[in-house]
Amino acid sequence: MKRLTVIPEQCSGCKMCELVCAIKHFGVNNAKKAAIRVMITYPHPVVRMPIVCSQCKVPMCAQVCPVDALRRVDGVMQLDKENCTSCYQCVEACPFGAIYVHEDCDLPIICDMCGGDPECVKKCPKGALRLIPEAALGESRRLNNVLSYTQMKQIEFYEKGERKIIHYAETGKEEL
Amino acid sequence: MSIKSGYFKKHLHVDLTNGSAECRELPDTFIEKYIGGRGFGAKLVWDSLKEHDFKIDPLSPENLLVVAPGPLTGVYLPSSGKNSFAAISPATGLYGDSSMGGGFGVELRQTGIDVLSITGRAPELSLLFIDNGETTILPMPELRGKSCLEAEGIVKEKLGTHAVHVATIGVAGENMVKFACVNADWSRNAGRTGIGAVMGSKNLKAIAVRGHNDLPVYDVSGLVAESDKAYKYMEKHKFFRMWQQQGLMNVIDYANATGILPAYNFKDSVFARNDEVNGATMLDYYKIGDSACFSCSMCCGNICLVKNGRYTGTVIEGPEYETCAMLGPNLGIGDFAAILAASRLCDELGIDTISTGNIVGAVIEGYEKGVLSLSDLDGREITWGDEDAIMELIRKIGHRQGIGDILADGSRRIIEKWPEMDKLILQVKGLEQSAYDSRAGISMGLAYATSDIGAHHTRAWTIAKEMEEGQNWSDEEKVDIVIYHQKVRPLFDMLGVCRLPWIELGLSEWHYEKFYKYVTGKEASLEQLLELSNDVYDLTRLISTRLGISRKDDSLPYKVWANPPLTGPNAGKVINRDDFQRLLSLYYKKRGWDEDGIPPAGIEQKFED
Repeated sequence: MKRLTVIPEQCSGCKMCELVCAIKHFGVNNAKKAAIRVMITYPHPVVRMPIVCSQCKVPMCAQVCPVDALRRVDGVMQLDKENCTSCYQCVEACPFGAIYVHEDCDLPIICDMCGGDPECVKKCPKGALRLIPEAALGESRRLNNVLSYTQMKQIEFYEKGERKIIHYAETGKEEL
Repeated sequence: MSIKSGYFKKHLHVDLTNGSAECRELPDTFIEKYIGGRGFGAKLVWDSLKEHDFKIDPLSPENLLVVAPGPLTGVYLPSSGKNSFAAISPATGLYGDSSMGGGFGVELRQTGIDVLSITGRAPELSLLFIDNGETTILPMPELRGKSCLEAEGIVKEKLGTHAVHVATIGVAGENMVKFACVNADWSRNAGRTGIGAVMGSKNLKAIAVRGHNDLPVYDVSGLVAESDKAYKYMEKHKFFRMWQQQGLMNVIDYANATGILPAYNFKDSVFARNDEVNGATMLDYYKIGDSACFSCSMCCGNICLVKNGRYTGTVIEGPEYETCAMLGPNLGIGDFAAILAASRLCDELGIDTISTGNIVGAVIEGYEKGVLSLSDLDGREITWGDEDAIMELIRKIGHRQGIGDILADGSRRIIEKWPEMDKLILQVKGLEQSAYDSRAGISMGLAYATSDIGAHHTRAWTIAKEMEEGQNWSDEEKVDIVIYHQKVRPLFDMLGVCRLPWIELGLSEWHYEKFYKYVTGKEASLEQLLELSNDVYDLTRLISTRLGISRKDDSLPYKVWANPPLTGPNAGKVINRDDFQRLLSLYYKKRGWDEDGIPPAGIEQKFED
């Protein structure tokens, strides 16, 4: 089972994830119709954080749904468009605010993982959105957390007699 | 084939004097001819000039402020987050525009309008709030004296939402400093030509926008396919990663190595402490995050934090090359933390870092050379690299205290007050020069001299090309590249997109022909688009000449003729006046203007409708 995860340290706030999500699901250039949104705070603290459905194992959204329109299908929360009454209780209940409302759309907008191959992950130019195995969740945060306690910024090593340096800042960029 | 999509065809006109807002239809001919952004700006400013018989004081209520994104702003293509601000510039008295990145322009378009124009003067310091087509003017006297960043926070609190984009001016804008800028999304600036002062003169402290309309696009799938190709091309470029990491800060090393970096008020063109202010230093000790404009994969914005020393805790989005060069090497500052602090100070006051760097540099040199006395400086000495004195001077400019009151009126007023300063300050038509030394390449000199807004590199930036391959260029080649740049670069401002993917990563300009087609549904070749861009250039020239500009004004700063850089690869180089005049004549000829730089008589008819 793979999860969509966010590495906020990598996010530049370009909002391409929003745009491609809206284009994929609604066919329009309107970032406000996306199931993901980048929150930006500045200058204290400086955070760029895409907010998207976490596929919680205990989904608060489904718990409050009065008509049982939110159900897990193949591991992904799916909205039953026929039965949804657009009461938006799920929007209020989500602890992350990861369900969205747009005045042109009657139904709440919720991430459907694009059937397992999320567009936002494919198009993120910074690798801030990733699809990773559940067991790998938290890896990047662990690394970043440890690094923030060290003074080391780089490691030095020799390859075929040649001195090389890798900056830790660059290590997150390889494909996981 | 006519335009089928890409526009809301709406023009929102706000009169602050009587608090009215009127939504006008944009005719097809207008959008086809002027495209958007700077094109709309130039046309609307031209119309208002005609209405007022070519007598508009830049700081009067009559000066029309135009805020215009383009048809490509906010749609899925590389770096589509640009937006132009245009008006009669307080710095030059001529047409002026400045573009801003970030997300303000996108949000403005999503409110359902293509262009916003503002005239009049509000009775009280006010906020203009455009909420998805509904316009309100809120008096907010509590914003007086607040910095750009504070004001943005207060506005969001007042409106009760964080989901708005706010453009603000700082104290400098309120005080009508002639190089005040407009700040949006916390630290994105429309820096040049003093648009912030125009807002200040209108008692308009902030513009907040919120919209959620779909942006009109004719062929979404065509656009996505083309854009994916463009993004892929950029991602594969060998410098793409470097751009993501350093942004424009990588230019510091390049400029220092090639000898075009301004140092000590352009006395020199290399800087001994380059290693302490370059991109690598920023990456190693200061950078804490990336920032990007809407839909841009290059993310050239840096977010820096000073972690130790006297400026600890200073957070700044930036700096980019111009800011770092003008506030660092140009003032003799080799401490990156001090540059960040100065840059943050400029952001808070809301003044342009390029003009500020030029003016402060000229003051330091003026004092060194005895042109300015200690009493002129209010009894406070100032020398190269003296951070405290420099910060104090910047603060004085923003608040118009002491000598700052004169400096705040820009280089023209400085030269009027101290005529000897003409030899020290680098400006063309009243706008201070960008951070690329034109003595290294005469085509760059021609670009500064003929730029419609003054000595800025936004219209043509030919210096790298000339240094790389132009050693044996003929006059004709030099003029041609300047004219070509002056067609292409403004076209990006008209379309409402950024030119960095083109100029820095070599994304072909032919892509934009297709982007335009997919968004508007109108087939137009690149040549046709460039022709439209060229027409707008003629129009801004027409505005300039009607306001009294002619060949004598298309000149260069004194230093460029007389004082060569002291060291570095371009040591001893100046621009020869005769060479320059020869190029200028050829330039006029190629543009179809007369020997005095005046466009032909009948050309006005072109801009009637």
